[in-house]
Amino acid sequence: MAWRFDNPLRTLTDDASNKVAMEIWEAESLGGITENNNRLPQPVVYLLVLTIVSAFLITFPLWGQRPTAAIYEEFVAMMDSPEVQGLATDEEKMSYMVQKAKETGSKYATPHINHPITMDDLRVLRPQIEALKTQDVVLDDYTVVGDKIVLANFEGNLRADGTQVRQQPWWDQGYTIDIFYVIYFCLAVMIVVKRLPPYTVQPRHGNERILSDAEMAELSGQRRVA
Amino acid sequence: MLMKYLFAKNEEIPPGTATLFFSFSSIVWFIIGTGLGSFNAAKLAFPDWVTGMEYFAFGKMRQVHVMAVIFGWISMAFAAAMMYITPALGNTKLWSEKLALWSCLNWNIGLAVGLVLLWMGMTSGREYSDFIYPIDLIILFGVLIPVSLNVWMTIAKRRTQGIYTTNWFFAGSIFMLMIVLLVGNLPEYFHLTGLTEAYLTWWNAHNILGLWITPVAAAIAYYTIPKITGNPLYSHRIGHLHFWSIVIFYSTPAAHHLMSAPLPEWLKSFASVEGVLILVPAIAFVSNILLTLQGKWNMFVENIEVRFTVTGVLLAIPLNMQGGFQQTRSINWYIHGTGWIVAHAHLALLGFSTFIEVAAVYYGLQMIMKRKLYSLALANFHFWMLLIGFSIYWISMTIAGLIQGAGKIYEVPYIDIVIAEHPYMIARWFGGTLVFLGNCVWLYNMYMTAREGTVVPQGRMVHELAYER
Repeated sequence: MAWRFDNPLRTLTDDASNKVAMEIWEAESLGGITENNNRLPQPVVYLLVLTIVSAFLITFPLWGQRPTAAIYEEFVAMMDSPEVQGLATDEEKMSYMVQKAKETGSKYATPHINHPITMDDLRVLRPQIEALKTQDVVLDDYTVVGDKIVLANFEGNLRADGTQVRQQPWWDQGYTIDIFYVIYFCLAVMIVVKRLPPYTVQPRHGNERILSDAEMAELSGQRRVA
Repeated sequence: MLMKYLFAKNEEIPPGTATLFFSFSSIVWFIIGTGLGSFNAAKLAFPDWVTGMEYFAFGKMRQVHVMAVIFGWISMAFAAAMMYITPALGNTKLWSEKLALWSCLNWNIGLAVGLVLLWMGMTSGREYSDFIYPIDLIILFGVLIPVSLNVWMTIAKRRTQGIYTTNWFFAGSIFMLMIVLLVGNLPEYFHLTGLTEAYLTWWNAHNILGLWITPVAAAIAYYTIPKITGNPLYSHRIGHLHFWSIVIFYSTPAAHHLMSAPLPEWLKSFASVEGVLILVPAIAFVSNILLTLQGKWNMFVENIEVRFTVTGVLLAIPLNMQGGFQQTRSINWYIHGTGWIVAHAHLALLGFSTFIEVAAVYYGLQMIMKRKLYSLALANFHFWMLLIGFSIYWISMTIAGLIQGAGKIYEVPYIDIVIAEHPYMIARWFGGTLVFLGNCVWLYNMYMTAREGTVVPQGRMVHELAYER
């Protein structure tokens, strides 16, 4: 089973070894079952590429992020203002605050849309957000889980003051490991598959039989020599 | 008859005896498992059905049902298939028919004891590894190691140069299962708690499906379809892609079962990508089998084993589409903890894998007994009972799951959700009961095949005679 590297996309095994492999393939019966040497059909290859790309796109941590305390901070600051208090219903108040934040160029305009909140819920969260502000912490490090605000479960870099960044990254080390895995897998499978006789060579079926011990010894000897 | 062969010399035991015992045991466990499932479903459909008795409480009965179908029906049918397919592919005999018979006996006793203890409330409390650790050890040393030894030694002593795809999967999967059970039960051996326990529990549960049930079922299809249709397997190369993608992509996404748990987020991201990549082996497998069928699609209608197998293979498509995407953060948020997951689990176990295994047991028993099926009509009836029953179950539980998801997200009072999903609970019970009744008919058909099936002449294959009288 000597290697060759002159045409790696065709085969990684020398011609003599491939010839012996094909002889064995064509001669022996595996319990009455035979196999072909077809390549993966091209549409299926595209489907696999699409699967791998989709796997990364659809699982970005960005999708399904929990709301942080920071995205409601502006609402808490606004909710007692005369403009808001002058509105008749809670729905109008909330709608006004979302619009106002958008107009003033809030960096949380998109999270406001993704994580809408009612005035009732905002009233529940307000004391917790105000309490955190007095502690001089980074509100982005805190997530809203139900009616509670808790320190987020992320472990990012250390800041100069010794605290740790607790914010969901758009890319994390899990993705880096995944990329390693996918590359490693593709390389390994390509090596395994390219050690087979090239797919342009198909076994001829119909003459398979149970080989005698002598035939097997001869074929395995040839394979070792090749 | 079992006792006679347990103490006989290995050479005196007719080849295939172990398959015979494993096959009939698996059918009986299938009936017990689905019977328990039907009973449990009735408790959800009709809340006044059998109340006031601790031993018939849903909480106790449910895990008995799950363990009976996984380790009684599915795994024992796998063992039956391994015991006749492995030697057949190596043009040899099973390494030790006697060891296989002892394994079968230990398996039945160990499982029965484990299930009774579960029923009595002695449980590890962890899903899919509910048995207490002494039972785990009996299964490991009394069953798994002997069965593995038989598979590996039969492959080692084969009379072929090559090893066919099916045998790679058999040998690899049974090795991986041992690792999974050893590592997955560590929380019980060392009293691990908290997140470690949660993660290892789901690592175990995920890999029982991913490294045992899925690959072995696929391996059986790799045998059944080429063997019965007479077509060569479409591609040896795709077999490699399938095998290695199972090992790489199915062994890693356990954390996607815990997307809402306080596991490190990077682990969830890693697992979630790998979870979608489960589609890689699925695509390889389905395309290889369906392409193998080229020119023989008539057998999907005409041959009962091909029909069962191909139905299982086709069910692998929705199974993996669901499995790949339902674990992503945004979809998991909606369907986690709902009946959708129950529907998905049944699509995997009662749909995809069961249909393929049923075919293997039908084919294996006829081959070993050298008898034609007693009644093709009853086999067809069995197929439709299984397919219709499963479909009703799957669809109704999927709808119930979506209702529960909506109720969860919109904070609908729980009792209103229970009322809304009640019709689907009745449908679930009805579907499951059809499966149970179909299996009773199957046992009768196989028993009658053993007693009165037409003897297959020397040199003929059972599937060649299926339509001859």
